[in-house]
Amino acid sequence: MDSILSDVTDGVTSSQPWEFSCDLEVDYGTDEYANMVYSALAVDKELQPDKVKRQMSVSEGKLIVHFEAVEARFLRASYSSFLDILTLATKTLEEFGLGMKF
Amino acid sequence: MKRMIALGFEGSANKIGVGVVTLDGTILSNPRHTYITPPGHGFLPRETAHHHLQHVLPLIKSALETAQITPEEIDCICYTKGPGMGAPLQVSAVVVRILSQLWKKPIVAVNHCVAHIEMGRVVTGAEDPVVLYVSGGNTQVIAYSEGRYRIFGETIDIAVGNCLDRFARVLTLSNDPSPGYNIEQLAKKGTQFLDLPYAVKGMDATAVEKLKNNECTPADLCYSLQETLFAMLVEITERAMAHCDKKDVLIVGGVGCNERLQDMMRIMCSERGGRLFATDDRYCIDNGAMIAYTGLLAYANGTVTPLEESTFTQRFRTDEVQAIWREKNVSDTNGKVEDGVCS
Repeated sequence: MDSILSDVTDGVTSSQPWEFSCDLEVDYGTDEYANMVYSALAVDKELQPDKVKRQMSVSEGKLIVHFEAVEARFLRASYSSFLDILTLATKTLEEFGLGMKF
Repeated sequence: MKRMIALGFEGSANKIGVGVVTLDGTILSNPRHTYITPPGHGFLPRETAHHHLQHVLPLIKSALETAQITPEEIDCICYTKGPGMGAPLQVSAVVVRILSQLWKKPIVAVNHCVAHIEMGRVVTGAEDPVVLYVSGGNTQVIAYSEGRYRIFGETIDIAVGNCLDRFARVLTLSNDPSPGYNIEQLAKKGTQFLDLPYAVKGMDATAVEKLKNNECTPADLCYSLQETLFAMLVEITERAMAHCDKKDVLIVGGVGCNERLQDMMRIMCSERGGRLFATDDRYCIDNGAMIAYTGLLAYANGTVTPLEESTFTQRFRTDEVQAIWREKNVSDTNGKVEDGVCS
C-alpha cells in the first residue's frame, strides 16, 4: 500500500531515525468524501514535527495515512488522537452527508 | 429580505454547545451538554474532548430540529477558534470543516471572549458598557475603543472562576451544575467574615489553612472568598469606568451568573448613576448561540475563514480581533439609528 502514497517528504534528515511507522486506510467509496475528510484533517499539523510525521493522500475513494516517529510512544499518542478525530469526521459525514433526513 | 442564519459551535472548555441564531440576535435554538466530573476533580483536556466527541453530533440534530431549519437555510457555520483547551477546541473545528464542505457553506472563526461580549450586548441591550468578563479561564475588564475590545485589567495568575473551582474541589463540593453555583449556595449560610489575601493566587490555599485550624466552617469560607474576590472585581471595574468615562457595566462569562456578584456590581453602578447589565446561566455560560451570533456579525461584514485557515489556538487574546461590525454598526438591522455608538 505504501506505493500509492503521493505525498513527498521534504528533506528527511538522515540523522533522525524514523524507525517507527504505521499505516491506516479508510475506504469512503468515493474520492469526494475521502477528499472532504482529507481537507478537514490536513488543517491541523502534527504538534511535534521533529518527532512524528504524518502523510496523507487520497486514492480510489480511500484516505491513506502514513505515520513515522522517532519513538514508539510518540507514534502511539499521535496515532491515537488522530484516530479519535478521524472517527468524528467520518461519523459527521455519515450522519449529515447523503441520506440526511429531517 | 431573507433573514440571515448562522450555526455556531462552542467547545473550548467543559461545555459543548450548538446554537442557531439570526442577525438580529434571535436565538432559534441553543442546546448544550456539560462534562461534569466527580467532586474533588477538575476536567482534563483529553477526557473533555472525549465528552465533546460523544455529544456534538446529537446536539447538531437537536439544534436544527428545535430551530426548525434545514442546512440549506444556513448562511455560515461558526466555531470557537480559541482561547481554550486544545483537544476540546479541535472537536468543533473538525465537525465544522466537514459540514462546511458537505453543505457548501462558509466558515467563520470566532474569538470566545468577544463572543461572550456580543452575546451579552444583544441579550441585554447594553450599547457601550465596560465589560467584566469573568469565567473559569479568563478574568478581564474590557471596553470598546477604536475598533477593538481593549483589555483594561485582568488577573495574570489564574482566573477568578478557576480560583472558585479549585476551592470547590478542596471542599469536595459537587460540580453539578457547576462548582461556582454550589459555592454561591453554601456562601448564603456563612455567618463569619474572614480576612483573606487580596490576590487571586494563594487565596484558596489560605482559606484551606483556616479550615484545617477549625477557625471557621466551609460556609464561612465560601462567603468570605466570594466577598473578597467580588470586591476586587468591582473595584477594578469601577476604575475602568472612571478611566473610560462610561456609565454602564455588562457582566459576562460563567461566574457572571453569580447573583451576589451582580448585587455588588449593581450597588457600585447605581452610586455612579449607571446601570448594570447581566444575564442568567442560559447566556452567561458558554453556549453555541454566542459563537453563531458573533460569527454572523463578522460574516455580515464580509469576514469568512477559508477551510485551510480554520485552525484552533489555545491562546487568542480579546484585543487581537478587529470588531468591524461595531465600526459599521450593521448589527442594527431594524433600521434604527443609534447615536453615540463607538464614541
